[in-house]
Amino acid sequence: MNLFSAARTGAFLLVVSVVPAGMGDVATAAETDPSTVEHFERSVRPLLANHCFECHGAEKQKGGLRLDSPAGIEAGGDTGPILSPGQPADSRIILAVSYEDEDLKMPPKTRLSADQVKILRDWVSAGAAMPASPTGAEPVTRGAGFEINDEDRRHWAFQPLRRPAVPAVKDPSWVRNPIDAFVLNQLEKRGLSPNPPAERRLLLRRAAYNLTGLPPSPEEVEAFTADEAPDAWPRLVDRLLGSPQYGEKWARHWLDLVRYAESNSYERDAAKPNAWRYRDYVIRSLNADKPYDRFVREQLAGDELPDRDNSSLIATGYYRLGIWDDEPADRELAHYDALDDIITTTGQVFLGLTIDCARCHNHKIDPISQADYYRFVAFFRNINHYKNGGPTDEALLFENDQQRQIYEQGMATLNGKRHQTKQELAAIERRFRELHPLEAGDADAVFKAIKEDGGKVLGAKTFARYEELRSELTRLNGEEMAAERALVVTEAGINPPDTFILLRGNPGAHGEAVQPGFPTVLGHPPPADFKAPGNAHSSGRRLALANWIASPSNQLTARVMVNRIWQHHFGRGIVRSPNDFGLQGDRPTHPELLDWLAAEFVASGWSLKAMHRLIMNSNAYLMSSRGRTDGLAADVDNELFWRFNMRRLTGEEIRDSILSVTGTLNPKMHGPSVYVEIPKAVMATQSVPGKGWGESSPEEQARRSIYIHVKRSLLVPILESFDLAETDRTTPVRFASVQPTQALGMINSEFLTRQAASMADRLRREHPDDLTRQVGRGLALVTSRPPTATEVEESLELIRKLTRQEQLPADRALDHFCLVLLNLNEFFYLD
Amino acid sequence: MMNESNPSTDGHGAGFCRRTRREFLWEAGGGFTGLALTGLLTLDKFFTGTASAATGVITNPLAPRPPHLPAKARSVIFLFMYGGPSHVDTFDHKPELYRLDGKTIQVKTFGRGGRRNEGRVVGPKWNFRQYGQCGKHVSDLFPHLATCVDDIAFLHSMVADSPIHGSAMLQMNTGRILSGSPCLGSWVNYGLGSVNENLPGFVVMLDPTGGPISGAKNWASGYMPASYQGTILRSAGDPILDLNPPDGMTESVQRELLDSLNGFNARHHAARADNSNLAARIASYEMAFNMQRHAPEAVDLSRETDATRSLYGLDDSRTAEFGRRCLLARRLVERGVRFIQLYAGGAHNDDNWDAHGDLVKNHNYHAGRTDKPIAGLLKDLKQRGLLDSTLVIWGGEFGRQPTAEYAEGTGRDHNSFGFTMWMAGGGIKGGISVGQTDEIGSAAVADRHHVKDLHATVLHQMGLDPEKLTFFHGGLEQRLVGVEGADPIRQII
Repeated sequence: MNLFSAARTGAFLLVVSVVPAGMGDVATAAETDPSTVEHFERSVRPLLANHCFECHGAEKQKGGLRLDSPAGIEAGGDTGPILSPGQPADSRIILAVSYEDEDLKMPPKTRLSADQVKILRDWVSAGAAMPASPTGAEPVTRGAGFEINDEDRRHWAFQPLRRPAVPAVKDPSWVRNPIDAFVLNQLEKRGLSPNPPAERRLLLRRAAYNLTGLPPSPEEVEAFTADEAPDAWPRLVDRLLGSPQYGEKWARHWLDLVRYAESNSYERDAAKPNAWRYRDYVIRSLNADKPYDRFVREQLAGDELPDRDNSSLIATGYYRLGIWDDEPADRELAHYDALDDIITTTGQVFLGLTIDCARCHNHKIDPISQADYYRFVAFFRNINHYKNGGPTDEALLFENDQQRQIYEQGMATLNGKRHQTKQELAAIERRFRELHPLEAGDADAVFKAIKEDGGKVLGAKTFARYEELRSELTRLNGEEMAAERALVVTEAGINPPDTFILLRGNPGAHGEAVQPGFPTVLGHPPPADFKAPGNAHSSGRRLALANWIASPSNQLTARVMVNRIWQHHFGRGIVRSPNDFGLQGDRPTHPELLDWLAAEFVASGWSLKAMHRLIMNSNAYLMSSRGRTDGLAADVDNELFWRFNMRRLTGEEIRDSILSVTGTLNPKMHGPSVYVEIPKAVMATQSVPGKGWGESSPEEQARRSIYIHVKRSLLVPILESFDLAETDRTTPVRFASVQPTQALGMINSEFLTRQAASMADRLRREHPDDLTRQVGRGLALVTSRPPTATEVEESLELIRKLTRQEQLPADRALDHFCLVLLNLNEFFYLD
Repeated sequence: MMNESNPSTDGHGAGFCRRTRREFLWEAGGGFTGLALTGLLTLDKFFTGTASAATGVITNPLAPRPPHLPAKARSVIFLFMYGGPSHVDTFDHKPELYRLDGKTIQVKTFGRGGRRNEGRVVGPKWNFRQYGQCGKHVSDLFPHLATCVDDIAFLHSMVADSPIHGSAMLQMNTGRILSGSPCLGSWVNYGLGSVNENLPGFVVMLDPTGGPISGAKNWASGYMPASYQGTILRSAGDPILDLNPPDGMTESVQRELLDSLNGFNARHHAARADNSNLAARIASYEMAFNMQRHAPEAVDLSRETDATRSLYGLDDSRTAEFGRRCLLARRLVERGVRFIQLYAGGAHNDDNWDAHGDLVKNHNYHAGRTDKPIAGLLKDLKQRGLLDSTLVIWGGEFGRQPTAEYAEGTGRDHNSFGFTMWMAGGGIKGGISVGQTDEIGSAAVADRHHVKDLHATVLHQMGLDPEKLTFFHGGLEQRLVGVEGADPIRQII
């Protein structure tokens, strides 16, 4: 049978495509010499056309590969060449179609027949002949064509950091500090004026939330509005910066970035041991105004630092916060996924670079090559893979040497006892075996045999001793020296394994080996050598990276961090994409201001509090948020900062504020996380309802939201509903959605019902038998201002309606009024 | 304008960003009533980027939006057979397997018990018969469903990346084995919005035995705003969390409270009229109030006729529970809910299709309680003219191996190398079967279709281009079908 031997025209392709797979190709294969171009045209090309062009042709080039022209076939794809003429075993195209490699099966949907594979194999064996001149379209060779050009290098974020001159302005009277000059300069260029300052009580509320995440009390409002001293504002800022609630508020911003959660996700979603210490570390570091460069070094290499201490060890919990599948389908891939989690987080958080986009191929937009990605991987390559606890994930914490000695002596004694007990047991077992020979020699068999015959063979007394020793050993093995532990990173010794470029990100496809190095476009030489002065079991690679990131000569670090600080003061960063300073990120609206701030930040000794002070003492920060016709007409997006941006409170601020105004907030700081009550209906969504969720006392439940246990698969409804950060990835900007389900929770949930009642109790307690004052106090608590007469009158009217028309008891009516208060837009939004 | 505020369809920088916020407000009506219609604005002032988690910018998350392509389906009902039904005992007829029963053969398998190269064949425990005009073989587990085969397209060559529940569940729901990505239902609502303000657009109904493993991760919106996450709907008690006012609060009391709240909020808004979020939040209370009124009606089955109730098996204790949820699904479809997911099976072990021990007992139980309700659903949708616009999907996170997991017994381990799912309605061809596993059902060999292809098919039928439906996050235009992309399964559409 040779249906197609005569077909040598273009129509041939059409014919083959309607023949059952295999037949047409096979029929012709016998006709041509596989070493000829004719063979390619008659057998190979039609086969490729039928089975491969759909994904590797003119329309699509999956994997950067194009097979519809000889040039494309020669060029290969993102993973490199696919052909090694004469060497089918080394040709990826043959590997792929033979379905021998678990990770590389092509075509993915329908396997080629053995005969079809043979056509391709014979062709490659015979030298893979193809026509010299390309006949198809030219291939897209993104992979091979990667290069960093001058334009890339000129990108604003890659320029060395310098301190721009403060611009001159027409109206210097508005300039309270250089920030204002930068802002005003741009406004003047556009013919806009800045908004007048906001009312003092609004400023107090703005500052209190901004620095502590909590509303000011009516007493604070009164005191501040009455304070007419010229330094009233700077003193207020200093007071707030000095309050411990500052750390609790700003730590949450950092935790969003580092994908902080206390469980692993996936089926078991088990708790990570002692993850909460990392949360406390961040709160304490911020309250102590730890220099940012130190903060960076501690998290990335706290175990390798010469002056490492408990705090710097806890900081390395940073590496362990991500998701973790304890039973991955592919362990090797999971290992690289875990590394990718570190690359993604570290690149975006500290450097504002999406290095992670170059895992499988060169970055599509930024000048970051796949080699850059794996050079970055090499810094972390030696990290012990996460196991959710145990010696490679946990470190013992001692307050001092004495504590350590006590622990070590205790452990030595314990180990001594264990050893002694084992020896004595072994002696008895030896004797038993001498007296009672056994076939199987393993420990279990011996144990079983003694259990059965020990009394007879050894005598009652020895047997009793044996039993005694066994239980003693069990007890000793279960005994532990009390010690505090922290979740930390560890390495597997001083000599890291090689790091290879993984072709297409495939752990099974090694490309060339790479050494640790920084993204090429930034122009820094790779570190010369590696030392880990604080750690004899570590390579020092992470310390080299940390030192590079935390260096004033790094173009990105200070810019990225001051942008985040600005973002959380003004509602958006000067760069609106705070995790992406690359080519596809947003450009800064005020590039010179950003650079000036970054230079100030470094000059201040990387002090966050110095930056807060600087920013909050600018007139830009004091502006009103009110709309203005000319401003809205000229710059509705407030690109120029002609006004302050209003914002909705975050989920944590909403919950904490509710607890605060109802008078139930427990200000206790630090320690293991707490479990708040979650409605049964929500618990029922777990595969084992209630699993992994503990119970805390009512007092503990009334603590600030940052202390609530973060379980990836079971989030607290009020926090989740109000746009908690995504727990599995770095979150640089929170959403602030508005949805009816939020309203349902705010008017109907048990939490709100209870809190409203608590608030009513507070009002009755503070102003017994005086409804007018109760109402007024309630309004003042949620709005941070004295209520107007109309508001009080309307509130009383509501209560009257509830008691008279609806026949509710007075207490119940006040409860309901408090529920209204907790729902006010004025409570939820900051001017 | 809706066209322009579509989710990004042509890459970063397009979509909403070329418009000024002023235009947006103008077109949105600017005032209270207009906003109530366009609904749920998010993230106030920052209307600059495409839909994006990098800058937090997103517009009108649930306003209805026109599809990219002419849509075949308006709603999806995903019947999730959690645990992984055995394809060779249900729809993938393998005569050879009966003969091999009990024999140890060479076969590559990969399940929770790891990788193996040989195993003892467990012959199919049910007989297959042919049904319908298409002559489809269906096992005796599904006598009712078998009568619907001419409306069904069977996909016998499904493959997934993991044979482990945790990651495989995530992949079936989000396309990825790593946790933290939005679900299929999130993508559909992101792409199309919701046409019913009184009900959520993505509804999940769990099995009474409990949620699936990883719980809320299976209906989370990942890096998208919470607006797109699935809402749990219960067929008993409060249908939606916090839907009902607390005990003792009457509707008229609540109305008084909301009126009072509106008074305060209106005054607050008057001085900040340019902030549309304040108006949106005022509107959200009215929408919540309406949901309270209308959602209970949606889940009220009392007005369904006896014939309908019987069609879904509500008159039989064995099928009543799942039947109720299937009937609810139809009612939600009628009310415009975009994406409804029902879990058949929950919790662990034999509470779902995870038949590691006694295959016969497990599958008889789970098929027995779902067969009639699912057939009822298909028939009811059809007789009401809804099947054409409703895409029904059936399947688990993977299938099961042809060989035994243990030395004794009929239990089968997981199999992601090849398994069966089916689709019906919503423009899907009926009475056809696509793809093949090998002669013992151990792996897909012809027309292999990855889970991503299934997702692409769903999006395509809903009028969304799987390659163009993107959400910018983490420096990348993220897609449900991933970087590599996927094509709809052309043979069935």
